[in-house]
Amino acid sequence: MRTLDLRPHHLVLWAAFIALMLLMPLMVGNGTLRTMIFACYLAMFAISWDILSGRTGYLSFGHPFLIGIGAYTTGILTRRYGIPVEASIPIAVLVTMAGGLIILLPALRIKGSYFALVTLAVMELMLQLVPVIRPDLTGGTRGISRLPALTRGAENGYYLAAGLMLAVALFAWLLMRTRLGTALWAIGMNEESVRGSGLSTTRLKSFAFLVSAGIAGLAGAFYAHYLGSITPRSFFDINILFQIIVAVLIGGAGTIIGPIIGAFFMVFLLEWLRPYMPGTERFFVYGSIALVLYMYQPKGIMAIVDTIVSKMKGSRA
Amino acid sequence: MTLALEVRNLVKKFGGLTATNDLSFDLAKGESLGLIGPNGAGKTTVFSQIMGELRQTSGTIKLYGEEISKLTTAERIAKGVSRTYQVPRPFAELSVRENIRVGLMPDSLRAMIFGAPDRSREAELAQSIGFAPKDLDKTASELAMGDLRKLEFARTLATGAKLLLLDEVFAGLTSGEIGMIAELIQDLRQRGFTFLMVSHDLPAMEPLVDRAIAIERGTMLANGSFADVLGDKSVRASYLGES
Repeated sequence: MRTLDLRPHHLVLWAAFIALMLLMPLMVGNGTLRTMIFACYLAMFAISWDILSGRTGYLSFGHPFLIGIGAYTTGILTRRYGIPVEASIPIAVLVTMAGGLIILLPALRIKGSYFALVTLAVMELMLQLVPVIRPDLTGGTRGISRLPALTRGAENGYYLAAGLMLAVALFAWLLMRTRLGTALWAIGMNEESVRGSGLSTTRLKSFAFLVSAGIAGLAGAFYAHYLGSITPRSFFDINILFQIIVAVLIGGAGTIIGPIIGAFFMVFLLEWLRPYMPGTERFFVYGSIALVLYMYQPKGIMAIVDTIVSKMKGSRA
Repeated sequence: MTLALEVRNLVKKFGGLTATNDLSFDLAKGESLGLIGPNGAGKTTVFSQIMGELRQTSGTIKLYGEEISKLTTAERIAKGVSRTYQVPRPFAELSVRENIRVGLMPDSLRAMIFGAPDRSREAELAQSIGFAPKDLDKTASELAMGDLRKLEFARTLATGAKLLLLDEVFAGLTSGEIGMIAELIQDLRQRGFTFLMVSHDLPAMEPLVDRAIAIERGTMLANGSFADVLGDKSVRASYLGES
């Protein structure tokens, strides 16, 4: 407990959050539950991005690439080789970590916008390569369909997605409360000072990258089984990247909980807008909201909540 | 006499520019040495080479008798040398306590994850450098320049280094803050720390050093007592503009 500096209010808030998520099927209908399933997966993608980019400041534009590796690995293993999902998903996580390490880790030596551009290039490369390299395995542009489902019905699908998201969020939150989390946060503020404090920043960034890739692979693999099919466009796509980044920025980068709030906010906003704006113009609205929020409070909803809580504490004192 | 630092025939070239030109000097354990020179003389470049932030073109650097030229910055710090920067580089959104915590962290992922922060050591270091207990939870962005210098000191000390390289330690400080930092350095000297310091504030630096060396364009001009170095004709010509 001393390692994590946990306080009673942390436990109360987590218990309340878990209880709320578990009770949700009793309060909302199946349609809303299906929307929440997407929000849970987007939240996991956003947490994965936040661990690397929100903390260390290395903006990854290649996260859809990592999510896609997880999805394609489990898809290929289950559909082409008949491997059960109990094995294919852990393998997908490992393959994502290894694939990410080989392809993207060297980019961690490059700073700033160059890192972002390299990761973006890798994602675009995958979009072009996947349909043409071994289409017998990847299914080419048509992708892979009829992936084995892990659950039946909206309620079970929700419990799986929510349980997975809670586990990922709790793990990431606890990890970021250790000294390692402080060091990663410090890298985002001044990497040279971290190095000047006697810490190997390459090792720290590599670790953050591995954890981030592992979560992306895990979430990508489960998401693929939820969707039941994979196509290059549904994973290696810049729109997914924008949704992840906007979710993190709206919620609050570097906070783990912020990206969850951001993901739910975004997914529900898009759903509520659907009847009025059935086309892609909905994305202009959420882009505008993100922009206004970012201008008003660049640290996102979490910072607004923190300010309100501080003011309430101040007025009580 | 045990040497803390031995710099021999150090050369650093950036293309056609020679920033450090065959520079050699020693620093005894517990000694305090001033490194002076005009702007662009190459003082910070010397610091960066000692810390491994820049690799020298040729020459050797020994720390407590051990050649360190091939070591990374983190490895050099583990061997007992650390530095401050001309402009303090705090972790702006972290608290004073957390800034010091980064300096205290072991360079091991396992220890960082499973080890608890030493909160009493963090507080002790902060207080030894002049922070009040109520300051520990302030974020670095709330601190004035003098306190940022103190914070940088605290984080540098937290690494466990006994040889401290102080770069423009009085820059941007009020006279009161200069007195506070000077007192701190004197206290650390009493406690056996070794210093190599750069400052353009020569009157503030004089009582804090045992001797000085002057460089210009990376070349040694003079080496001796502070008064002798400042009295040297070539130093006066290059540094003070006297003909």
